[in-house]
Amino acid sequence: MSQLDLTALPRPTKQPWQVRNPRNTWLVAGASVVPMFLAVVITLLTNIDATLATLLVFLPLQLIASIGVGQFIFGKKGRGDAILVIFTVFFSTLVGVLLVSVMFSVVVDGLKAMSPQFFGQNNHYISSTTSLEYGGVGHAILGTVLIVGLTTLFTIPLGILIAIYLTETRGRMRPTVRTLVQAISGLPSVVSGLFIYAFLIAPSFSAHGLTQQAGWVGSIALFPLMLPTVARIAEEALRLVPQELRNGAYALGAPAFKAFWQVTLPAAKSGLITAALLGVARIIGETAPLILTTAPSNDTNLNPFVGQIATLPTYLYGYINQVQATSQQRAWGAALVILILVFVLFTLARVLGSAKSTKAKKRK
Amino acid sequence: MSDIQDVTAEVPARRQLRTKPFSLADRLFYGITKSASSISVILVAAILLFLLSQSFATFQTQGFDFITGSQWNNAKGHEVFQIGPMLWGSVLISILGIIGGVPMAIAAAYFIEFMAPKPIAKVATVLVDLLAAMPSIVIGLWGLYVLTPVVAHWGSLLYGLHHVSMGPVNFDIPIFAMSDGSVPSTFSGSPFIAGWIVAVMIVPIITSVTREIFSQMDRDLINSALALGGSRSSVFMRVILPTASGGVTGGVLLGLGRALGETVAIFYVLNLVSDINWFNILQSKGGSVASLVLQKFGEGTPNEIKALMAAGLVLFVLTLLVNWLAAVIVNRAQPWRKI
Repeated sequence: MSQLDLTALPRPTKQPWQVRNPRNTWLVAGASVVPMFLAVVITLLTNIDATLATLLVFLPLQLIASIGVGQFIFGKKGRGDAILVIFTVFFSTLVGVLLVSVMFSVVVDGLKAMSPQFFGQNNHYISSTTSLEYGGVGHAILGTVLIVGLTTLFTIPLGILIAIYLTETRGRMRPTVRTLVQAISGLPSVVSGLFIYAFLIAPSFSAHGLTQQAGWVGSIALFPLMLPTVARIAEEALRLVPQELRNGAYALGAPAFKAFWQVTLPAAKSGLITAALLGVARIIGETAPLILTTAPSNDTNLNPFVGQIATLPTYLYGYINQVQATSQQRAWGAALVILILVFVLFTLARVLGSAKSTKAKKRK
Repeated sequence: MSDIQDVTAEVPARRQLRTKPFSLADRLFYGITKSASSISVILVAAILLFLLSQSFATFQTQGFDFITGSQWNNAKGHEVFQIGPMLWGSVLISILGIIGGVPMAIAAAYFIEFMAPKPIAKVATVLVDLLAAMPSIVIGLWGLYVLTPVVAHWGSLLYGLHHVSMGPVNFDIPIFAMSDGSVPSTFSGSPFIAGWIVAVMIVPIITSVTREIFSQMDRDLINSALALGGSRSSVFMRVILPTASGGVTGGVLLGLGRALGETVAIFYVLNLVSDINWFNILQSKGGSVASLVLQKFGEGTPNEIKALMAAGLVLFVLTLLVNWLAAVIVNRAQPWRKI
């Protein structure tokens, strides 16, 4: 009798459900590639429209082929899955194309206007036909920084205080406040501008109104738009701080104020910074309120309390539907500057925010 | 006897447990946060109050026709301010945006949460968040120069369907026709394009709300449905969608609120005409309350500006209602948010 072979079989490297039949992979891929190839061929041969080819040739063929393949591999179950997957991928691709298109066109067209003087110079001697070598958005960047900075100064403390009220206290107004903050977050930006115009500029109190259009009025008009963003994200950040930490502080005899100041606040610091940054990102490109409450300017104005002042969105607004190519270039350039600012704020928020919040992420 | 007397004498007075803050620092702490929170109440009240005080005259002179009529004339002595076409235009554009945006958003959320590999899902989430933060004027610029030519072309394709008679195939689709039956020279400036712009703006909002709802779903529920023999599609239709429907509805309403108030982006791609356009979505005329404000504000007469305040008030009340409804629904669908 031969010796029984007792060497162990190699352990499978994949779980049973991870094993894929290569034949199935080829079939699934083929169900999409062949219709695409057919659609391209038909487009080239008959010269029909690419949209029509996608909708009338590619999509139906892909759907039929995938249903067939699904039926072949998984039986009756596979048909529904094929439809679900095809539609999900189609619509997701549409979303992706739109998103990438926005960013791609802003970056490509904006880069044509980029130069050092585009960041450094103002618009003083610029007419609509001046070449792109002169003039830029320097004054608008300064104006945006001043106006948004002023808004930030009073909005972030208020927003964080609202978040504290919602999470750290047992106040009776909490449901009301939460609902109202959510309601304000949907406030149309133009209504915010109209409100501040009615409040400060229009003759409500006196015959001439309280003030003229100026940078600080714009700052106040941005307040209702920034407040709910800051409050909501700060609330999430404070809520991520485990309740045990607070209870520990209370058990050691700390009064609520000290427990918050020395325990909750340090623990939520990165989240609160994220709230502030995303709040700034929310308003940095707001246009309608600034059009109603500030007067545009071609010159650098470092005083947001008096006179005309330019901002990036109003600069862009002024150039957007001009006929001249250079003016349109300036518009794209300004759009790229706004996009860069938003992107920088976003990246900062992610980097600073991910430091602490990752471990407390999934909560039920 | 005397022993018992002694014991009762030693029982200390009942201590009062106080839940209200009593030290000065705590009272200050609560007082400051409470007064900061009342800002939200004051803000909403102040917006209503100031807009109402400015627009009262308009409501008085125009009456109910302000909302239903369709004329706009700022000439002295003949002043008529009516926002019917604009109000309907806002609603029409929002409906189109919702029709286009909701399938895209739900598909994207499903793709990110259940289908895509981890790294792709992460990148997609960041992209969607970034688009949500994209200022509407940038979208307007893109919509004017990049999207309009493309969608106008789609519009011209759809226009071919307004009256089809090819042998046995005979049908009319009235919403693709023009109200006066003319052959259009251009397909830009139509509610169809504005609807696409609105869809682009609300997709990130609906996607992020829906994705959050999907990610908080009970995985055991899905896995047990799969274990019972469900396929992806049946699990999606019978488990995921019914469970998440409340939150998704809330997200859609949030998007609707944003769509109704969208200003700058629509301003550039829509041909604002003070003449009501019921359903001819390819016709180059439409309306939007918020864009009307932007259009008329620059050189408005004092009375006209008051009428714009009234339009803003109507818009505010409308969005407030929609957002309030959305907040209630989203909160009900996300009970973990309430503590």
